[in-house]
Formats: sequence, structure tokens, C-alpha cells
Amino acid sequence: MNIVVAIKHIPSIADDLPVKGNNVDFDSVDFVLNEWDEHSIEQAVLIKEAVGGTVTVIGVDLIGELDNALHLALAKGADKVVKITADDPAADSHMQAKWLSEAIKGMGADMVFAGVQASNDLDGQIGPMIAAYLDMPYIGGVSSIEANGDSATVNKEFAGGAGAKYSVHMPFVAGVQSAPKPPRYAPVSKVRQMAQSATVEKVAPSGDASSGLAFKKMAPPVVTGHAEMIEGSSKEVAAKIVELLKSKGLA
Amino acid sequence: MLTTIEKIIFIVLAITAAGFTFHGFKVIIDSIRKGRPAPELKDVPGSLVKAAIAVLFQQTIFKARKVLSAIHMGLFFGLITYAVVNLVDVLEGLVPGFELVYGGVHLPNAPTGLINAFNLIADVMSGFLLIAITTFLVRRFIVKDKALTFRDNVLLNPKVKAGGQARDSLTVGVFVIMHVGARLMSQAFRLTEGADPFMPIASFLNSIFGASETGVHVAWWISLGWVMFIIPYLSRSKHTHFFMSPVNLGLAKQNPRGQLDPAIPLKVIEGQKYDPGAKVIYDLAWTRVMDAYACVQCNRCQDVCPANFYQRPLSPSALEVNKRYLLKEATFGSHPEKLLLPLTETVISPEAVWSCTTCYACVRVCPVGNEPMADIVDIRRRMLIDGYEIDSGVQNALQSLATNGNWMSKGKRLRGRWAKEMEFPVKNATEEPVEHLWFVGDTASFDERVIPNTKMVARLFNQGGLDFGIMYQNESNSGNDVRRVGEEGLFEQLVEQNMAAFGKAQFKQIVTTDPHSFNTLKNEYPQFGGTFEVKHYTVTLLKLIEEGKLTIKNKLSNYKVTFHDPCYLGRYNGGFTAPRKLLELLGVEFVEMPRNCENSFCCGAGGGQIWMGKVAPGERPAENRIKEALTTFGEGANAKTQLFIVTCPKDMVMYSDAVKTTGNEGKIEVRDIIQLVAEAVGVEMPLEAEAVAA
Ligand SMILES: Cc1cc2nc3c(=O)[nH]c(=O)nc-3n(C[C@H](O)[C@H](O)[C@H](O)COP(=O)(O)OP(=O)(O)OC[C@H]3O[C@@H](n4cnc5c(N)ncnc54)[C@H](O)[C@@H]3O)c2cc1C
Ligand code: SF4
Ligand code: SF4
Repeated sequence: MNIVVAIKHIPSIADDLPVKGNNVDFDSVDFVLNEWDEHSIEQAVLIKEAVGGTVTVIGVDLIGELDNALHLALAKGADKVVKITADDPAADSHMQAKWLSEAIKGMGADMVFAGVQASNDLDGQIGPMIAAYLDMPYIGGVSSIEANGDSATVNKEFAGGAGAKYSVHMPFVAGVQSAPKPPRYAPVSKVRQMAQSATVEKVAPSGDASSGLAFKKMAPPVVTGHAEMIEGSSKEVAAKIVELLKSKGLA
Repeated sequence: MLTTIEKIIFIVLAITAAGFTFHGFKVIIDSIRKGRPAPELKDVPGSLVKAAIAVLFQQTIFKARKVLSAIHMGLFFGLITYAVVNLVDVLEGLVPGFELVYGGVHLPNAPTGLINAFNLIADVMSGFLLIAITTFLVRRFIVKDKALTFRDNVLLNPKVKAGGQARDSLTVGVFVIMHVGARLMSQAFRLTEGADPFMPIASFLNSIFGASETGVHVAWWISLGWVMFIIPYLSRSKHTHFFMSPVNLGLAKQNPRGQLDPAIPLKVIEGQKYDPGAKVIYDLAWTRVMDAYACVQCNRCQDVCPANFYQRPLSPSALEVNKRYLLKEATFGSHPEKLLLPLTETVISPEAVWSCTTCYACVRVCPVGNEPMADIVDIRRRMLIDGYEIDSGVQNALQSLATNGNWMSKGKRLRGRWAKEMEFPVKNATEEPVEHLWFVGDTASFDERVIPNTKMVARLFNQGGLDFGIMYQNESNSGNDVRRVGEEGLFEQLVEQNMAAFGKAQFKQIVTTDPHSFNTLKNEYPQFGGTFEVKHYTVTLLKLIEEGKLTIKNKLSNYKVTFHDPCYLGRYNGGFTAPRKLLELLGVEFVEMPRNCENSFCCGAGGGQIWMGKVAPGERPAENRIKEALTTFGEGANAKTQLFIVTCPKDMVMYSDAVKTTGNEGKIEVRDIIQLVAEAVGVEMPLEAEAVAA
């Protein structure tokens, strides 16, 4: 089983997000791994542990600091890591999807996983676009994948808590929303060991694509009002809420 | 006295017993030697002598259970005396005509006075031993003291569950009663000429049973024949502690309490490769394999364990008892394969492993120098390496610590934000020299509930003219609790980050607000080259007041207060006096809770517990502590405001919460000592300053 996991480095929101011009101030922000990618790595490693195979993790190196995330992936059980040396922190999803598919093309993947979306742009399109470029089917909103022979049983979630079980023929691309188990913890000693011993394969970005969208302005949200906390017993609170709704003509 | 046949039988028995005993101890020593190398011990003969003295005066058992300890002390002296008595009895059996009754009248040139004294001591001691051992048997089997049992959710070796310990106790108890009783009878039967005033109990028995030649033989055999069976048995029972406790105490941890053993031995045996921490029993340091043999199985550690109180499946004594039974099954029994089973299946459940607050109470109270807590940390270390699924809250904390250097998922740059809001500049110690480098810690830097106190510390330092600075975004979590959660690699990474930051700074000493940081900076950073003078802010404040740099303007006699010793300041580092001295200077009415200083009760937050995502049901240690404080204050209306004083940012969070959850708002308030100092000193506050006292 040959699984390729595409990961995305995104600006951390642990700090206040610094804005410069019409975009994020990339020089004064830390980059972290997209949360959903932790799930797709976990899903890939779980399949490998169940049926064997190799897991390759690949990402676009936007600011020259992707190695940390790749070493982390190795410590969690990935076998091979690849970075696309782009050095362009503003590269959008379309651009990244193009570069990724060019690099993945020759890998002979049975399955390609991407996080279902990334919390920087909430675009959710890298997975579908890779599928389009590689001419593979795409299934998104995935909460578990089990490989059996040349097909996989995939659980996909729908709005309203509904879910469906699909049988998907390989090769395919999946947008992983969550792994069946919480992503495992990689002890720092293992990550550091990987940093010392592992090699990160480098690939030059190839191809061009664009969403056709351009940033006009970026600004921190303006605080317009505050939440009002209603005090009192649950009965009193309920009564006040009803009153409020009525006064606004909503009930 | 004995016939030739009897003598031959006795000597054969004695040799066999010696053989079995020797074999028993050889098995034990071989097993201990299979443990990993332990941190180097200095001056072993000296420590052994000190331990022997401690054992002789039974010093270590008096840390808890005073009455039972006194009885144990008597039992101990009785058994020591009995070693001599037994020797004399053997001589009476083997040497014809050697008999000590009536001051040894039949012996030529007998030192009558000495013999009479010996007889009196032996006789009275026998009586005492019978009483003492009966007390212990009554405690276990009739009163059924709860302290000797385990919670149902605690993992126990099946043999322990089936009552193995009780059987051990009964065997030895019955032995002592038979042995001592028979010895008294054998002396009583010798009294052919009526009462001997120096043998009151034997004389009394003689008045009932009379003298008898056959009786002497039978009683002698019961008394000493038994010994030949019981001595080899001891090495296979929990009573190995007779021999192993003193040795264990002599070879106990010498490093500071606050310094954990490394995850991999520093000194490795040639050709051996070690994974971090412990999976199986021989992954433990040999000193801690020995703990199992030294364990008295007294459960004193369980009594003081906050996790056990909180109904978690953790019992430090069960850990040691299970280790002992595992070793017994594997080395004396026929199950050597059990040695390869994970400790999490044989001695402590995974849930129990993750319930420990690393409060050190178990280690502190143990009369024989055992370190169950150190085993737990070693087991955590290996579980992490082996990819065991850990609590999601702990995992989030660790991941944040690895990326942000704090456990609160806050950006590094936000660490010094509170300082930038101050009405005076707070120096950046990595940019300009300061005398005091204030290591603020995560909770005090980021937690909105605690920041007002952090600012108050800054104001008081400033007002006292202290030349201080903080490291802003260069400070990382000290790693104290990271290490205790078992994440040794992350701990090392944090140490490296902080050492790099210290390298940029110029300072004379470090002052901390957080006892946890205080502990690792003081006791563990030296191993990484960081030998600094480290002070807790209570010491720094006391000094400022004593030197007159801060003056107390208002005495706070309207407060009645009690003080909670944080584990990592008190029990770990002996920081008991500075906070109490401060409170005295502030003029508050001070009352001490029953569990104070060394015996302080953990708030339940340490060792990573504060990160746990899942909160277990049941009364939490912090809630129990608030109730303890209220009981200490006493019932009835109190004209004074009752305060629960803390000196640890985590405590501020834990106890404020506990006051709410126990419904005691209005009766007791939690305050950091800094708030009282500020009130007494009269801090020059800016107009818009936080209403800290509110
Ligand atoms: C991880 C994740 C989390 C999300 N969380 C939230 C959330 O918390 N709250 C929220 O509101 N949304 C959320 N969304 C977005 C939302 O659930 C859907 O993505 C969105 O409503 C589009 O629906 P879909 O993905 O099912 O798209 P699709 O069903 O694929 O539809 C895509 C588009 O195709 C066209 N289309 C499809 N079917 C038809 C049809 N029968 N007739 C006509 N046109 C059609 C429409 O233009 C449609 O918008 C989340 C999305 C993701 C990926
Ligand atoms: S360190 Fe504290 S919590 Fe842990 S086992 Fe010992 S007494 Fe219990
Ligand atoms: S470890 Fe120490 S305190 Fe605990 S049961 Fe054993 S001897 Fe007693």
C-alpha cells in the first residue's frame, strides 16, 4: 500500500495575527502544521500498521521551516518525507495543489490524503484539485478509511450528523476530516532523532496555477459589540431570553 | 539438656535452614542486581551506619501513625533482644548443665547479677512481645483496619487479592506467639524449686503447670525447632523487610528530592543498550527493585497519597507489593516469563500511572526509603516512547509546549504582554543586566486569573527597589512538570531553550513565582550546566521587608489565615519558614492546618494533572483541603475574614475553583501571599489597576 499525504504549513494563530499591507506579515508569524493534516497522517499510519505499506508525506516549504513538520511526521510513523522548495509564503491553494500534484504524479500512489481544509483560508480545495490534476476520484469529509485489496471502505460525514459508507477503488484522493483515533503524540526525543538521522527529499516547484483571486485588504476584526451574559436561575434566564426575542420581533 | 539424638536432629535442621536461608538471600540479591544502574551513591558505609542508627531508634517510622509506631518500636526491641535470648537457649540445649534459671545457681562462678538481669529482661520482653504481636494481629484480623486494605479499583496481583499478605502476617504472628510462648513455658518447666523473682511471667506459669523435664524438651523444641522453619520462610515473605529495610534505607536516594533520576542511566554497563524509562521490572534501577523487598507493606504511603484519596486506582503501596509478588513468582516460583510482562499489566494500571501528582508524599513518609513515585515516572517515560495513547489534554499541553514553549497554546510573544501593560518599564533581562532575573512561569504569565497577582509582584519588587527583569519571549516553560509527565526529550528541549536564554542574560540570581519552576531550576538545571542561585519570591519579599526596603504600614489583624505548603516549595525544597515569617510580620492571625509542612496535602495539580482533559468524579484533593482549612478555622461566626493563603500560581487556580465547587464562597477566600503583602505595605497603584483583592 502506497499512501501519499499532502500537508500544509500555515501561520500560527497562537499569537495575535500580524497584518502587513494586504496580507499576513509572514516575517513575524510562526508557521505550524494544519490541524487536519495531523489527522490525515494518523489515518495513513493506521492503515500502514494494519495492512503494511509505505507512507510518504509531502508539503510545500513556504518559508524554509517545513522540516520540523516533516520530522514530526517521521516520528509518527511516516517512512519518507518530501518538501517542495517554493519559498513563497503567499502561495495560494491553487498554486500549492498544482505543485503537489506534479510532485506526486510519479510516486505511484494508491491513496493520496489531504486535510479536508486548512484553517488559514478555509478553502478546502487542495484535495479536490490534486484529484483533478491526477485524474483520480475525490472523496471529502472522510472520518475513517480501511484498505482492503485494491479498494477501500471509506466513511464520509454529511451535514446534520449523517454518514455514509463508500467502497472506493484505488487510486483515489481523500479529504480527511478526522482519523478514527486522535492523532498520536510524537515524543520529542523521537522527533529530534529523526531530525538528526532522516533525509528530507527536495523537489523544485513545477507548474503554475492561480485562483485568480487577489487580496485587496486584510485587517483584524473590529469589535462591534459584546456578548451580554444573562444572570439568574435557569428559569429567569429563559424568561429573559423569551422577552428579548419578542422585543426584537423574533418570537 | 538435649539428648544426643535430639542434638543431631537439631544440628541437621540448623544446617538445612541455613542452606535454605542462604539460597533465599542469594535469589533476592541476584534479582536486585538485575536492575539498571542507579545514580551513584557516595559514602555507602557512612550511609549504612546512619541507616542502622535510624533503624535502631526506629526514627523513620514515627513520621506517621505515632501509637502503632511506638508498639512497632517495642516489637523491634523485643525481637532484637530475642536474637540474644535464642542464642542462649541454643546453648542451654546443646551445652550440658548450662541453665540460667535462679541466676545460674548450678553453674560454677556464675555472674549471678548479670544472669538475673538477663532473665528479667528476657521474661518481661516475652510478655511484651506477646502483647505487641497480638495487637497487630487484632488490628489486621479483628478490627480489620481499613488502612491495610486496597481500593477495589487498584490493580493487585491475584495472590495479594486472595489474601497473600494476610496469610504472611498470620504465619509470622502465630510463629512469634508460639515461639515466645514456648520459650516462656520451657523456662517455666525448668523452675523445679518454685518461683524465680527475676522471671515473673515464667514463675506465674510455673505456679499453674509446675515443673517438668519432658515439658522442657517439648517446649524447647517448639520454640527453637520452629525457628529453623521460619527463618528460611522469612526470605520468601513480606518479612524480608527485617533484613532488607535497613539496607534499603542505607542505600536510599541521596540526590535532592527534587531531582529525578535520568530516563536512561548516566553510567551504563558496557555493551548494554537502554530505552528510556521502564517497561518491565528490571528496567527499574536496582535500588528500586530492592524497594520491593524492603517494603513493609504498611500502606503509610497510600494513606498520604492524594490520588488514592481522590478514588483514583493508584496506590503506591500496591505498586511495591505487586512488584514483590511478581518477583517472588518469577524468582522463587516457576514463572520467570512474568518478568517480561509490562509493569502496566502486573504492578500498576495505566490509569493509575497517569493519576500521580508527583507530590512526593509517598516517598517522604516511607519508613524504609522506598520511591514508588520514581517508578511511576519511569513507567510514564516508556509509555510515551511506546506511543501509548495519552490523555488529550496532556497531549495538547505537550504539543503546545513543543511549539510555543508554554502549555497554554499562547504565542511566545504574548508571554511578556502583562509586563508591557505595567505603569513602569519592566526590564528585559536578555537585553540589559539585572540583579534578579524573574522567571515568571506559564500560569503567572498567561492566566488572566493570575496576572493581577503577577503585576502585584512586579509592583512590590519595583517599590522595594529590587533590580529585576524578565526574559519576555525568551523564557520557556521550565519543564518541571513536563519531566514528571515522562516527556524527557521535551524537558531537555525546554532546558536547552532556557539555558540559551540565560546565556543571553546577565544576572546574579533567579527569583521564581512558581514553585515548580523553582524546583527544577534549583535541582535539575545544574545537571545541564545551569548552576544558579534560585530563590522563591517569598524569600525575596521577606528579605525586602527585613532590610526595610518595604515597610509594613498596616497590620492585617482583621484576617484569620491558614497557609498551604505547595509540594514543590515545601516537601521538595524545605521552603517552610519564609511564607510563615511573612505572615507573622503582616500581623494576621495564623492557624496551622493539621496537614502542614512536610505532611502538606497536595492540591492535585502537579505532575501534569492540571493538564488532564478528563476530570474524574469524587471529592478532589483541593476540595478536601478547603474543608480542612474550614475545620481548622473552627465552626461558628468569625468576625475576621478567613483566608486561605497560597504561594503558587497553580494553587490560586486550583483552590479558587475548589472554594466554588464546595459551595464555600463567602466563608473562605483564596489569596496569594502577594496580595496580603501589597495590602500591608500599601502599594502605590495606578488608578486603573486591577482590583486584586476583589
Ligand atoms: C471540514 C469542513 C467543515 C465545515 N464546517 C462547516 C460548519 O461548521 N458550518 C457550515 O455551515 N459549513 C461548514 N462547512 C461547509 C459546508 O458544510 C459545505 O461544504 C457546504 O455547504 C457545501 O456543501 P458540500 O460540501 O456538500 O458541497 P457539494 O454538495 O459538493 O456542493 C458544492 C456546490 O455544487 C453545487 N451543487 C451541488 N449539488 C447541487 C444540486 N443538487 N443542485 C444544484 N447545485 C448543486 C452547488 O453550487 C454547491 O454549493 C464545512 C466544510 C468542511 C469541508
Ligand atoms: S507522588 Fe503523591 S500522588 Fe504520586 S503516588 Fe506518591 S503520594 Fe501518590
Ligand atoms: S512503600 Fe514504604 S510506606 Fe509504602 S507500604 Fe511499602 S514500606 Fe510502607
